[in-house]
Amino acid sequence: MSAVAANVKIWEQNATPKHRIQWCPGCGDFGVLAGLKMALTRLELVPHEVLLVGGIGCSGQIRNYLNGNAFHGTHGGALAYALGAKMANPDLTVITLAGDGDTLAIGIENFVHVCRRDPQVTLIIMNNGVYGLTKGQDSPTAGLGQPHEEYTEEHPPFVDPLRLALTCGASFIAQSFSGDPKHSAEIYAEAFRHPGFAVVDDFSPCVTYNKFNSYDWYKEHAEHVPAGHDATSKTAAWALLDDFDRRGKLPLGVVYRDERRRKAHTRLPIWDEELAKADPAPMFKLFK
Amino acid sequence: MIVNNVKLLVGGVQLRDGVTTVTDILGKMFVRAGLHVLAMEKGYASTIYGAHQYDPMVISDRPPLSYGDDQSDILVALEYDTNPDAPGQPNRDTILRHGKNVRDGGVLLYDSTTGVVDTADLEARGIKVFPLPARQIAQRELKREVVKNTVVTGALLRVLEFDMDYALFGAYLDERFGRKGKEIVELNMEAVRRGRVVIEQILAANKWDGCNFKLVPQKVDGADLLVNGNDALGMAAILAGCRYYAGYPITPASAILEFMERHLPRYGGRALQGQNERESIRAALGAAITGVRSAIGSSGPGISLKVEEFGVAGVAEVPLVIIDTQRAGPSTGMPTKPEQGDLAMSIFSGHGEIPRIVLAAGTVEECYTLAFEAFDLADKYQCPVFLLSDLTLADGRKNLPEKYFTDNRRPVTRHGLVREAELKNDGYRRYTLTESGISPRNVPGIAGGIFKMSGSEHDEAGMVTTDPPKRKAMFEKRMRKMQTYLKEDVKPPQVFGTPDGVPLLVGWGSTKLPLLDAQARLRAEGTETCALHFTHLWPFPVHLVRPLLQRGSTVIVVEQNYSGQLADLIQQECVIETRRILKYNGRPYYTSDITGGVRQLLANGTRVVRVGDRAPAAVLETVPEGD
Repeated sequence: MSAVAANVKIWEQNATPKHRIQWCPGCGDFGVLAGLKMALTRLELVPHEVLLVGGIGCSGQIRNYLNGNAFHGTHGGALAYALGAKMANPDLTVITLAGDGDTLAIGIENFVHVCRRDPQVTLIIMNNGVYGLTKGQDSPTAGLGQPHEEYTEEHPPFVDPLRLALTCGASFIAQSFSGDPKHSAEIYAEAFRHPGFAVVDDFSPCVTYNKFNSYDWYKEHAEHVPAGHDATSKTAAWALLDDFDRRGKLPLGVVYRDERRRKAHTRLPIWDEELAKADPAPMFKLFK
Repeated sequence: MIVNNVKLLVGGVQLRDGVTTVTDILGKMFVRAGLHVLAMEKGYASTIYGAHQYDPMVISDRPPLSYGDDQSDILVALEYDTNPDAPGQPNRDTILRHGKNVRDGGVLLYDSTTGVVDTADLEARGIKVFPLPARQIAQRELKREVVKNTVVTGALLRVLEFDMDYALFGAYLDERFGRKGKEIVELNMEAVRRGRVVIEQILAANKWDGCNFKLVPQKVDGADLLVNGNDALGMAAILAGCRYYAGYPITPASAILEFMERHLPRYGGRALQGQNERESIRAALGAAITGVRSAIGSSGPGISLKVEEFGVAGVAEVPLVIIDTQRAGPSTGMPTKPEQGDLAMSIFSGHGEIPRIVLAAGTVEECYTLAFEAFDLADKYQCPVFLLSDLTLADGRKNLPEKYFTDNRRPVTRHGLVREAELKNDGYRRYTLTESGISPRNVPGIAGGIFKMSGSEHDEAGMVTTDPPKRKAMFEKRMRKMQTYLKEDVKPPQVFGTPDGVPLLVGWGSTKLPLLDAQARLRAEGTETCALHFTHLWPFPVHLVRPLLQRGSTVIVVEQNYSGQLADLIQQECVIETRRILKYNGRPYYTSDITGGVRQLLANGTRVVRVGDRAPAAVLETVPEGD
């Protein structure tokens, strides 16, 4: 067994055994899981320093399918928990794993503002265009690639997370496809290393409820970001998205990357000895 | 001559007239002179500019039992403009609203810049009236409109025969404006003298010796702190080790957020103004899972928005202190008016059932002491702990010696937080089943302890499960923590008097002071009662409360809400019939509301008295027979 393979095994401890994973056979989320393990192994991260925050839905279960601390709360809340955890302990690698419904519908209030706040948190949107766990209702990304002439209030055009993230000021924006976990792993690794908020929109097909955006459909429409693309330029990022749209293609790779200047913070004090010495005098002085 | 016992009420137009500028300066000076100050009913509006604002303040040489009734001894009306509805006449808003409540023989001081007000009715009651053209003096004579409040302050110092040599006022000016230059200090000093001159002239013209009031400085051993409930809570939170606080702007909890934003970073902590109420509580939960003592603060509407997260905190076992400075609801209600309407929400809100602890402060002091307790309990029981305050406490100021704060500071001990040395490799389970229900808690980042935490039902390792025996065991483990709490940490209601055979006056929250005041007044009338004040409301300590209540002749619960939420709780938990005095008109309880209500309840078979009209009105509610 190679060293890399041995290290991958670390990420399978403290986790649901492989044969107990409750995703449909062929689910795109398996690709995300494989890509994650590769990226975590490549960066030589250790599980106890990782915090996985899962959303609600099929996708959020991934937090228990690999090693690392995990938290799971309300539908739409994942990014905000991640924000608080990272603010409190910057030493943790915080990864948020949530679906497109969780992120772009019920949790969009967090998505928009976390893009602005720019904590060093990675968000992987496990995007399949449907609410899988509730049996296939439309999500905000439903309709990707489908010709649509007339829209109604019930069935509006889809949300493009990349464009939204760019508008909201995210500092790392990328797209990946779970049908190519090796490429995803590269993108994830870059996202984890990015010193700010990293959004990765991962196409993760729902083989049960989204028959349109299938693996084959993605393979046909996805195309790598050209090598010459200047990801540090917002103008170039918009131009790239427009170009891919015009051609009916989906970019895979890093679309935008900009390191913001940030004030460094250390872990907040938690232990008795760190908290014992607080001097109340400056506060008392205010009220005299 | 009334010495060292006066209730002063300053009123005017919000933001424009500087009501609290006057009361802030005077409050500081009184406290520095060793006098006691109690200003619990700051009346302000849910608009920024233009509405009526008033700020009554009791000043005494002993700690006042309560702020009493809506009467005042000295009324100060700061309006200087014309009546918006009757141009040509002076604005008499404060005089119309509060003039009738000035005690016979009291004082009215008003800004007469736009004309003299007809106050014959007040003068007939022996009230001495002082028209003072404060704004005119400031604008025309001193060329600075902004010192009009200093003119008023100078007049008031003369009325109160306080700080006549300006030793305290001078020191205050030096502190406040010293750095800005001598001219500003001198201008204010001149303004304070001009105010006094006007009073002297009126006294002489009327051949009055004085105003019959006097404040005599007391011996002081280091000045007290003049704090409100929000200040006390904020200080306690920081000293209790809270290092992450999140809020969203809402009256009257915003001041806590502002306090934390200003002070937490100095103590190594961080405060977050959420983009909405949910981001606040979610970020606070995220911080809490990393081991930080974490709190959120809001008021009714904001708490409603956070309800779903209480369930997460309960099931995933995340310690969180939830501060609710209650205001008048429901919905937007009356954002700047007091009420105690959130008790039921604190105890019962949310789907499903979770362990939770509900505490309620009754005084500014309890805002301080209970905050320490709240953080300790959250740590120990790993559940949401609600700390209820209310608008009366949030904005109500009183003086307390520094010693009070240092004596009541509790050392920080992190209950149940597992250290690296205690973690056995591979053996750690976040939700280990224990007899107490409390599982050892680790924080991420420590080798040997990986946690899986979830709001979904889970097994000991934190893995999601719907297996019936596992579900049952985990549910019972969580709820068992409340049994442990009832055994180890709950506190009975505070008892004032002897309950045997007398009516019991039961309260919670800021009704404590008027309740005790009412008890004293009733005693003076020959009606003996016993007062019970609850701070620990949930889990309800039936074993401590029921025997106590059974000793009284009747149970009268005094609450600031419509239905009687504590009364319902007592009936539900103790199966003891309660009678109720209820007030929900947006004003705090006055002592006379309670004495009047008790008299009525005791005189007939009334079960509920709804107060808050001028005279307490009884509502006879029919009792279903044999139900």
